[in-house]
Amino acid sequence: MSNVSNRDIWRWRRAVPVVLIVSSLIVLTISTRSLEGFPRRFGLTVFGFFQQGFNAIGDVFTETITSIAELRKLKKSHEDLLVQLEHFSRMEREFADIRAENDRLKEQLGFSGKLAMARVPARIIAKDPENLYATIVIDKGVDEGIRKSMAVIAFQDGIEGIVGRVLEVGYGTSIVIPIYDSSSYIASRLSKSRFEGLVMGSGSFDEPLVMKYVRKRAKDEIQFGDLVVSSGFESIYPSDIALGRVLKIRSLDYQTSIEVEIDPILDFSRLEYVFVVKITENAATASQSEIK
Amino acid sequence: MIRTVFLSSSLLIVSVFIQSTWLSSIAVLGVIPDISLVILIWVSFKNGPIEGAFSGFLAGLAEDCISASPLGFHTFLKTIVASITSLLHGSFAIDRIFIPFILGCGATLFKAIAASILSLLFGPSIHVYNFFARDIWIEVAYNGLLSPFFFFLLSLFAKYLITDQAKK
Repeated sequence: MSNVSNRDIWRWRRAVPVVLIVSSLIVLTISTRSLEGFPRRFGLTVFGFFQQGFNAIGDVFTETITSIAELRKLKKSHEDLLVQLEHFSRMEREFADIRAENDRLKEQLGFSGKLAMARVPARIIAKDPENLYATIVIDKGVDEGIRKSMAVIAFQDGIEGIVGRVLEVGYGTSIVIPIYDSSSYIASRLSKSRFEGLVMGSGSFDEPLVMKYVRKRAKDEIQFGDLVVSSGFESIYPSDIALGRVLKIRSLDYQTSIEVEIDPILDFSRLEYVFVVKITENAATASQSEIK
Repeated sequence: MIRTVFLSSSLLIVSVFIQSTWLSSIAVLGVIPDISLVILIWVSFKNGPIEGAFSGFLAGLAEDCISASPLGFHTFLKTIVASITSLLHGSFAIDRIFIPFILGCGATLFKAIAASILSLLFGPSIHVYNFFARDIWIEVAYNGLLSPFFFFLLSLFAKYLITDQAKK
């Protein structure tokens, strides 16, 4: 009798992993068909809270250790910034003149007003727990009006560049998928020659982005270091935000288009703060009437 | 059993948070170690099928919630790695360095192969490791090298993380 019951227990113990493996496959089947929603958001909200906690603890240690060196750096950067400030004040005056002139010209050409974009500042609190996916977790969520598919940008060394788009939103945290992720596609154009293409990620932040479907005749007009910006031909990313600079051109005789390797404008390993772009309704209406 | 599953799952979930927040500072060429996998193989090897699979399932589910992966991806990987490792339960003794290293490397490779199989079944939303790129081999080596250290550390808390039945 006891032998039979031991065998039953043994069978039961063996069955549990199988049941769990099958359960995980069912969850995966449902989620890959985009039926997921609430469970993930709920999980992100709960676990995002813990991530914020872990990030805060890490910050205490890191900040304590680096604070002395940071103070020295700050002093130097303060002096540099004072010099820059004077330079920028001069530039601002010139910029105001140019802007006024630009508005006048736009009016004459029949364009409506510029897009009104609200930027929500956010801090990067975590990254993907594994190496397969390249995601960033920010400390802003539904409570700050963040929604799925909003564009995320950042300023680095005075340049505004695209970071990626919001993939999932929890209450106080959101997952951002960066432009270097292999599932990322951005309609873009070369800033100087205005040729268009599609920028795709290569899966790693230290590898170049690839701009595909660029017309072959663009080859002679593209130069090393040319800026590539978003074209705005999609609802997610605003136009004319920098993506990177031309690194290399790949052209094959049998292909009708060329591929351009792009060095990302942002150094993702140094990124700490980002801005989530919220395009307001007025702006959307304005852009729609422009299209009409 | 419930206590062991609860404690090991909690430990695994904490390690997932640590991976996502702190470990980027010790990344080698952008690759972070998978310490939750290392902990999971120790728990599964020491306890057997139920505890390992349950802990892997829960930790994987937590990981899916904070990752861009489809829900169920890490859940499956962690459960299957735990289930396979638990098959080795009681078949040999673990030494200080060599076997932990082999288990750490082997589990990482197995995880990568399982991800490739899932990608074939579920399409491009599943990311796979490129076996000809350096990242996978850095992770294999990193996990392998960390395994002896973590196995030693976990053995200090064995009375909380191993069931009485498994100890016998």
